[in-house]
Amino acid sequence: MQSLQQSLAVSHQSEPDAPPKQVAQAMERLNQAARVIADIRLGADRILEAMFVASNPRHNDAPLQLFLKEDASMRQHLQDLRSIGKKLEESGVLTESLRSRSNSWGLHMPLVCPDGAVVAYAWKRQLAGQAGASAVDRTRLALKAFTDQKRRFFPHIDDGLKTEPGSKKHRASHSLLEHGGEEPVEYKTLPDIQSRLEKLVPNVKVSTYGRLSWLKRASSLPGSGSDDDPSEESKPIFQSSSKMRSGLHDEVVDKVAVIELSFPSVFRAVVSLNPAGSVDPDAVAFFSLDEGGSYLHARGFSVHHVYKHITEHAATALQYFLGFGTGTALYSLLLWICSFESLYSKPCSKCGKLLAMDKKSSLILPPLHRAYQELPLAANLSVCEAYHAGCSSDGS
Amino acid sequence: SSWLVSANRAVAPPPPPQRRIMPVKWVLYWQPNQGSTVSTQILNEAAQCAESINGVKEGRWKATLNYYKPMLRDQSNHPDLPRDFLGISLADQPSKYYFIIRSQRIVVEADATIQLIMEKLQSYKSKVSLYFDGFQYQLGDFRLRVGRVVPVHSESIRGIVMEVEYLPISSMEKARKVMEEFVEIWHEALSKRSLSGKFVNSELNFGEFGLADTYTPQHTGVQYAIVMAHMIATVQPVVRG
Repeated sequence: MQSLQQSLAVSHQSEPDAPPKQVAQAMERLNQAARVIADIRLGADRILEAMFVASNPRHNDAPLQLFLKEDASMRQHLQDLRSIGKKLEESGVLTESLRSRSNSWGLHMPLVCPDGAVVAYAWKRQLAGQAGASAVDRTRLALKAFTDQKRRFFPHIDDGLKTEPGSKKHRASHSLLEHGGEEPVEYKTLPDIQSRLEKLVPNVKVSTYGRLSWLKRASSLPGSGSDDDPSEESKPIFQSSSKMRSGLHDEVVDKVAVIELSFPSVFRAVVSLNPAGSVDPDAVAFFSLDEGGSYLHARGFSVHHVYKHITEHAATALQYFLGFGTGTALYSLLLWICSFESLYSKPCSKCGKLLAMDKKSSLILPPLHRAYQELPLAANLSVCEAYHAGCSSDGS
Repeated sequence: SSWLVSANRAVAPPPPPQRRIMPVKWVLYWQPNQGSTVSTQILNEAAQCAESINGVKEGRWKATLNYYKPMLRDQSNHPDLPRDFLGISLADQPSKYYFIIRSQRIVVEADATIQLIMEKLQSYKSKVSLYFDGFQYQLGDFRLRVGRVVPVHSESIRGIVMEVEYLPISSMEKARKVMEEFVEIWHEALSKRSLSGKFVNSELNFGEFGLADTYTPQHTGVQYAIVMAHMIATVQPVVRG
């Protein structure tokens, strides 16, 4: 490593700073930008407040002074933000010039994804990832060893992994088990969730991506105006860093942060996980299969009204699932998303029609709502009744 | 050197002929009741009907359609040659031209400049030219076009066509129920205006034309060919020149 450092130092004499310093500077500037943005938000609130006070007929000078003061400080904030943005652009952070910066030690500039997530540079994440991964792996191995031993020497103790419907075990920790569904102990890891889902719902296609690989895929989907062959784009960006990892633990650098669920000819749903590598969903969005572009992410919105509305409804369902706090949110969410396979075929359970004029938006729409209250413990999707937004009993 | 790299790659088969993916579209035509004739008034009523279900007018739309007939020295020597050869330009694809031979179930997409060649060769002459002329409406995820069918150099209206497009879906099968219910809603809205006729959808088997479930401009071309055949059969017969 030392000789590599030296040789690189020689070859990059024209560079003002070494790559780790550039990257650290970029991270610092991003933090500065976040602080300035927060100041701008506060300033905007104060301006609105001043305008509101001014609109009341009180005839004193205070709102005007406040307004002038805030106006000046806002302009300063925006100026600061512009200059930080310029510096970030120059150092390759906000543009997709990621590849062009990959000449130095396998490091990459942080990238701000369209959905606002900041992907820090690979080197630091890589090291952090290594340490984290081995701790998780150690724990997983220990748990597996313990469970195997328990099953071998104490077979009469039901460990809850193979419950029949209606099992009374684990009542204390999951008091909602009255419904008789299977206890979702097995669905704590992403592969388990994925395989369980694929068994239950035959037509669904589930794929997982790191945040950057998703960005690449979204931009190369047909409909985005890009002519790239999508299969060519699935190579990971950080291939150059793999050479540095020889001898280290063979863990995926780009942790799973995006799950794509699609039903051929019907729709595509994008779920984001936060933190990456976990099973905690934090956003979901629906899109048409014919759409493509970098706006296709869990916080983006489709160009079609039907998917825009479903995305809004899905945000409510997601909050409901997260509210259980039992780690079942991801599985419930994915299962609930699968209930939309019937979006264009299942009529509303209340009015019996497929299409209806939605009063709020004045648009003709299919039933966009699917009941989510019976999940997470339902065994299948029949509990997800379809409703038009206007026919829905909660009136949302 | 780049040629070495490309030599090492396996030679990929030539890509299949490009068929663009588009949203599903149904083409309907106005069928007047027995004894009634088609008029521009119906077009105005249809336009108002679109607005009554919250349609937003987006502007005009136009298309042209030509019937070609082969210029043969002796027609009787070639009884098998198709007499019905349609060429149509679609508003959605301004740089393309579509040929349909209905009797042979053939539909072909060509560059719009082929009309130049046809004019030069004079082997097939256009015996009837028709304009589609009307308006386009946006109703949420639906797009509606209503227009009258008028022969070139004439003001007499020969018929009325309506295009219904559902933008989020490009699969004919998946969109079927949605389109059926939309047409029902449309009929219901239109029935309040007591017009003497109705819009009819032409059921046809796209598979016979070699077209798949995913919607393409070729599907539109075929629908127009069928619609024109129906329109000619139900309205006064066209004087064949």
